[in-house]
Amino acid sequence: MFCWIQRSLALLLSLLLCNCEDAVDISAEPPGSGPYRITATTGMVADLVRQVAGERARVEGIIAEGVDPHLYAATTSDVKALRNGDVIFYNGLNLEGRLTGVLKKMASGKPVCAVAEAFEGAEDYMIKDSGDEMDPHIWMDVAGWMRALGAVSDTLRSYDPRWEAHYDERAGIYLETLEKLDDYVREVMQSIPSEHRVLVTAHDAFGYMARAYGVEVHGVQGLSTEAKPGLKDIELLVDFLVEREIPAVFVESSVARKSVEALVEGAKAQGHVVVVGGQLFSDSMGPAGSYEGTYVGMIDHNVNTIARALGGIVPVGGFRQWRERTQ
Amino acid sequence: MEFNWDSLDTWTVVIGGLSAVAAALPGCFLVLRRMSMMGDAISHAILPGIAMGFLLTHTRITVVMFIGAACAGLLTAAFTQCISKYGKVDRGAAMGIVFTTLFAIGLILIRQSAQHVELDPGCVLYGSLEYSVIDMLQIGAIELPRAAVSIGSVMCINILVITFLHKELAISTFDPALATTLGISSVLMHYILMVVVAVTTVAAFEALGSIIVIAMLVVPPATALLLTRRLSNMLTFSAVIGMLSAFLGHLGAVAIPPAFGFQATVSSGMMAVAAGALFCCAWFFSPSQGLLVRLRKKGGRLPPLAGEGS
Repeated sequence: MFCWIQRSLALLLSLLLCNCEDAVDISAEPPGSGPYRITATTGMVADLVRQVAGERARVEGIIAEGVDPHLYAATTSDVKALRNGDVIFYNGLNLEGRLTGVLKKMASGKPVCAVAEAFEGAEDYMIKDSGDEMDPHIWMDVAGWMRALGAVSDTLRSYDPRWEAHYDERAGIYLETLEKLDDYVREVMQSIPSEHRVLVTAHDAFGYMARAYGVEVHGVQGLSTEAKPGLKDIELLVDFLVEREIPAVFVESSVARKSVEALVEGAKAQGHVVVVGGQLFSDSMGPAGSYEGTYVGMIDHNVNTIARALGGIVPVGGFRQWRERTQ
Repeated sequence: MEFNWDSLDTWTVVIGGLSAVAAALPGCFLVLRRMSMMGDAISHAILPGIAMGFLLTHTRITVVMFIGAACAGLLTAAFTQCISKYGKVDRGAAMGIVFTTLFAIGLILIRQSAQHVELDPGCVLYGSLEYSVIDMLQIGAIELPRAAVSIGSVMCINILVITFLHKELAISTFDPALATTLGISSVLMHYILMVVVAVTTVAAFEALGSIIVIAMLVVPPATALLLTRRLSNMLTFSAVIGMLSAFLGHLGAVAIPPAFGFQATVSSGMMAVAAGALFCCAWFFSPSQGLLVRLRKKGGRLPPLAGEGS
């Protein structure tokens, strides 16, 4: 969502000058033999693109770990990174709230892919909230991220057709990992007693996880963190926690802990003990270079944290050792 | 990350500098009239003007916005005058009542119409210099950022108004009684200044946001006042200081944090920081009124402003 004034002026200008800004020139020149530059927004998208592109491209992610993409405002160096990138990948569906204006502006003349919007059947896959707003957090369902993987490899293949085999091979290997991860998440989630399979978090980031793995989810804030929670939202959630005897709630690394801690306090006042079950990576991954700083590590961490706090069984060593054992 | 200066940086500094100059010129008169916070009041009070301008006409043309903002600026000044005169509260309190109420009305209007159009209060408050730099406008063969064109025109208008009304503004600022005997309406000058401030704020807030605009209205003129006691010098100095803040602010945003291993930050905020830093420099080191000079002289009185009566 960018400023209506800017949007109105863009509209006015396009009427006056009859320039069609929406026409994106996809037939960009194919890259030379050296590595080309890719600019991605969130860590998740950058990680996904790195998995497919490998050594072929230098991938730069502009939103750092622990930073909330809903509220992120572009700096001049981000604008430069977007301008200098040969290909741009972003999540889309309004995840990068304030950045969207800049993204749309930089999108002419080069291939740009919104990974959460660009795959086949995206319309049917989307979850909408009551206000008809699309849920952008598709990486929470590993199967959803597999679709995004398809969108990424399609974009790279058509941009750089000479290296088609390279992208196909890497995407295939990563797809296998994601399929395993999907099985793992399902298994761990199913180990949680069904009456406790309820995930209460800071904002509505886990809708796709809920649908894919049979979890009930409630967020203090809505799909975006831009709208602050009202007292009523917190009261309703506290009543819900007490009534259903939920043992744990979760904070998110990129959202302030305050609203979740308010739930704990509220439940305590009604005589029900809820603990903060741990910190989940919702809209941002862990530190770069760590296991949690990759998509697989982030999902692994989330699922294990949720299962431990809600009474499920977490395999020793998490996903990595589980995968070795099952192969 | 390596740092390379390129056209984006240049445009950022140009837009920031033009906004700073456009704001600093009327800001000089605000500071001299001891009503700096009127800039704060107006920059917030224009919000309902913008929102109502849209709701009344259902068009999103900038001219409507400018008119709405000018009206809101006039209303703020008029209401403040009324409340402080008849309500027996001091002008600061009256201003506080008026602009917060108008701002709240603006927020409600925006929230109510937000379902149909994406009016974004965040954008009004913080602006987006980074976005305004890439929003280009084609004029003939040259391509300019649209914000540079709009804020540049407003700056020219401000320069024209101040040049043509220089004597009237100066006299009504320093000696309203003398102005009245000379047949200059100081009330009219007051309202002209309010309209100029409102229009400047509208033009600048897209790039700087309505909060940083206040810094540009007040800080460069206050700094200039520490360096000179002549009005014409003060106007020139404040313009130069405004441009310098834009340059140093942008440099501080893109070059300094990465040098210490942090992420680059947003330029408009750093502009205000730079303006504050320049003010501190002037406060300490001003050759005529700096703290250092005054400590040496011990108890030296400040010379009166040029043109100030009695």
